[in-house]
Amino acid sequence: MSETPEPQETETSAPRNVIEVRDLVTHYGDRMILKGISMDVHADEIMVIMGGSGSGKSTLLRHLMALEHHTSGTMRILGQDIDELNNVELVDLRQKLGVAFQGGALFSSMTVGENVMLPLFEHTKLDRKTMEIMTRMKLQVVELGGFENLMPSELSGGMIKRAAFARAIVMDPKILFCDEPSAGLDPVVASQLDDLILLLRDALGMTVVVVTHELDSAFKIADRITVLDRGEILFIGTPDELRASDNQRIQNLLNRVAEDDTMDAETYLNRLTGDEPAYRPL
Amino acid sequence: MQEAETKNGFVNFTEKVGRLTVAGVEEIGMGAMMVVETFYWLIFGRREKQAVRLGAIAEQCVAVGIQAIPIIALLAATIGMMLAIQGIHTLRIFGAESRVTVGISFSVVREFAPLITGIVIAGRSGSALAARIGTMKINQEVDALYVMGINPVRFLVVPAMVAMMIMLPALTLFSDFVGLFFAGVYVNLDLGISLAAYADETIELLSVDDLMHGLGKSAIFAVLIAVIGVVNGASVQGGAEGVGKATTRAVVQSISAIIVTDMLFAFVVTR
Amino acid sequence: MKHEVKEAGASVVVAFEGDIDLQTSPAAREALLEAVGMGKPVVVDLAAVSYIDSSGVASLVEALQTAKKGGQDLTLAAVSDGAMRVLKLARLDAVFTIHDSVDDAV
Repeated sequence: MSETPEPQETETSAPRNVIEVRDLVTHYGDRMILKGISMDVHADEIMVIMGGSGSGKSTLLRHLMALEHHTSGTMRILGQDIDELNNVELVDLRQKLGVAFQGGALFSSMTVGENVMLPLFEHTKLDRKTMEIMTRMKLQVVELGGFENLMPSELSGGMIKRAAFARAIVMDPKILFCDEPSAGLDPVVASQLDDLILLLRDALGMTVVVVTHELDSAFKIADRITVLDRGEILFIGTPDELRASDNQRIQNLLNRVAEDDTMDAETYLNRLTGDEPAYRPL
Repeated sequence: MQEAETKNGFVNFTEKVGRLTVAGVEEIGMGAMMVVETFYWLIFGRREKQAVRLGAIAEQCVAVGIQAIPIIALLAATIGMMLAIQGIHTLRIFGAESRVTVGISFSVVREFAPLITGIVIAGRSGSALAARIGTMKINQEVDALYVMGINPVRFLVVPAMVAMMIMLPALTLFSDFVGLFFAGVYVNLDLGISLAAYADETIELLSVDDLMHGLGKSAIFAVLIAVIGVVNGASVQGGAEGVGKATTRAVVQSISAIIVTDMLFAFVVTR
Repeated sequence: MKHEVKEAGASVVVAFEGDIDLQTSPAAREALLEAVGMGKPVVVDLAAVSYIDSSGVASLVEALQTAKKGGQDLTLAAVSDGAMRVLKLARLDAVFTIHDSVDDAV
């Protein structure tokens, strides 16, 4: 749970913290989702964000990707304050971020190759030939070499996720965000995706932020783990520190005790009587 | 207690009406924003590093316009003949069936061609637009565009809206010709007026204003269809079922909007 | 990014300096294809390249293919660790002939 020092904003050295979140508060309608989150993501690390459903981990990810507006607090990505960017600056920043969505989010009207090439096509003035080679290289990295002319509907679930990774890394981003990479995959394929994340970090020097609820996956890839609970940070630290934690809620998470079993009596009563608002789909 | 309950019922009712009104106004506002944003990206897109791609517009033009030609031709021909049949039948009462050309030419060019074209495009392309945007939204493809730094309005909405604004008047002009021609064929068969004489009379009767009346309306229909399709697509919630609902809503709303606008336009312009 | 083209023995040496990234790789590509067009074996000197991204690597791949079609050699020299990792990730270390230094390559 160590606070890292403020980054040095010199032009020569990149900030050590690629993401800095301070007192982030967010609402969905009237409901407070994130209740003052402060966290850092260091350069070149794999940060895994965990938590049960309704913990706010998906919301936090959407904010880190600058997809939502926050109520208060500050967020700096690659040294830039998100609130102070204009449209063009935000587009420039986004080119340094790659996102692999949970369901892949490939454009169904385009081939796999066109999907992967789209960011290059939209944002660079590279020669078409260069873009095609880059696209094939990235597909090769995710072991989809030769699949560029297929439509997304012709791919299996695991292949769609890998194609989404290829698209996410085609611009060689500084930060790669992965939303539930192993959700809906069989354990073998899920494990291959974990290996892919490790490979990308090691070979391309990316910082990776992964949201997952899979403990095995988290312990395998994480340099540090953030545990969210009901919109608050319960824990930030290494996997070893997490295992050693004697916090009851963390132990419940590790031992896969259902979240509702840990609910205190008063919250339970409030939920039954409807005084505590039920979760809404986010 | 009794009083409180009726009051509650009343409050609930007003609340519901209020909420629906707010939602309706919100959707209209969103539609207006779409139109403004479309022109913004068309004009300033390059400056914001978000140039609108001509290829995407051309692709949409093919989907909206070229592929609709057969069905539009079929319906325009049918409507033209229907007008000729009804016109001759009605005018026979006065023994004035030879004047049927007046009725046919004005109603095809000013009303039926833009209306039938608008309704077909609303059914074909307005629904497709709502379904496409709705599906993309629930599959997180719209989010994916955002995180790639690609503005979804520029990428998805502008090409569709521009294509409709080009193709709808073009298709209307096409159905003008088809409708008038097939009406003429029927007139020729029934009354024995030669096609050449029919054409001469039609050209003499119709002014540029009549033509522009129809084409102008169709351009407005184009904006309505595109905006209603986009707004319904963008407000999809809850999976495939939501997409189906939004698609249906888009078609019903845009056909209603077309018919109401048609009447208002005719009223305002003819006064 | 800067580049320099010089002839060493029977070969053309293209020496790059600085970063080869999305902004600079079109220029790098042009330099490479031009060197290949001279019809001699090409050696690409990467000693002074601090960073090369996949667009730079893609340009190298295209140049290699163009050279091979013309029956020429295109070899890399003094590849940095970072660049090597990018090459290995795409399994290109087996595709390119890689020398430790320009002197070895010429």
